[in-house]
Amino acid sequence: MHINNPVPDKIFEDCLKADIKTLNAHLPRRRKLLSELLEEKHPHVECGDGNTDFFKKKELEYLAGMLNDSEKQTLMLPIIIEVGSAEGNMTVRSKTGTEAKVFSKILDMPIPCTADIITIFRPQLNVLRKVLKTTTQYIFTT
Amino acid sequence: MSTKVQVTRPTKIELARLKRRMKLATRIQKIVKDRLSILIMEFLQTVKECASTKEELFADFKEAYKALSVATGYHGYALLEKELLASEMAFKINTVTRNVAGVRLPVFETEETDAPSFSVRNTPDTSSLIDNSTSLSRKCLKAIIELAELQNSLELLGTEINKVKRINNALEHIVIPGLDATIKYLTMKFEERDREEIARLKYVKMLIEQREAYAY
Repeated sequence: MHINNPVPDKIFEDCLKADIKTLNAHLPRRRKLLSELLEEKHPHVECGDGNTDFFKKKELEYLAGMLNDSEKQTLMLPIIIEVGSAEGNMTVRSKTGTEAKVFSKILDMPIPCTADIITIFRPQLNVLRKVLKTTTQYIFTT
Repeated sequence: MSTKVQVTRPTKIELARLKRRMKLATRIQKIVKDRLSILIMEFLQTVKECASTKEELFADFKEAYKALSVATGYHGYALLEKELLASEMAFKINTVTRNVAGVRLPVFETEETDAPSFSVRNTPDTSSLIDNSTSLSRKCLKAIIELAELQNSLELLGTEINKVKRINNALEHIVIPGLDATIKYLTMKFEERDREEIARLKYVKMLIEQREAYAY
């Protein structure tokens, strides 16, 4: 054990700060409704870092196919998946429960939505991300 | 690997600051680990998709070449070349990006156009064999674009995984152990200082008692 100068530590800290800053920068400034996106020629949302995230039309059409007109008016996209809960599972906040319906149809099993929160397990996330590549986003929390 | 104690001033304020930094570093490490696991999951999924798309592409190519060789056999090279030269293909690709855990990945989307590829063909001279070969080639082209998207994503994800792994390793093996060692070092130093203080006070107390005893 020896005493060291803290300067390299400071450099690493600065790098880390920049990395953490960009981690959640991709989140949209404003989410859009599915019905709204279906009408756009190039469906997209503006991100917090100024970039634009585009949605695949195929995915939007797939989502539209499993929902009725009133549900299309309530589904906000992209669906935000929160990573970092204590149990290691992922959560999705859903006020309307439309997300739960979408997930249960994709996974072909009932997905409960308790207190506006849907819990997703890792194997389920694999399947969901395979189908909804552009319409889901990760957010990292502690 | 020896842990390095990083301290400039052995003070209680420094200790409190270090404890705060330790808490923050642990939290950041958790986020970095979560991100790493998500990136690895996405990478593995992309590898699987890449492999299946490649297999599909090879099967499509096989069919397309078979159809092309049949068409060549039926019409001959000269006519087929003439038809291919005259045929036009309206094809549009939209290149956009998507974000996966802080990594921008490309998305190539093919746009369907109304104009058919065999619009200018001389129909009496051609047969359905050429049309069949054209449609199969078009299918191949779509698979190639899909594969390009996946392989590019794979490369970008791989690079990011390496970067995040390095950050995670630095946190796990250098920053956190360093902070831990420094906190332990300062705590021990303060405990030692406290013990010395107690011993000094005891000695002073004994001296005062002795002095008081002689005075009487």
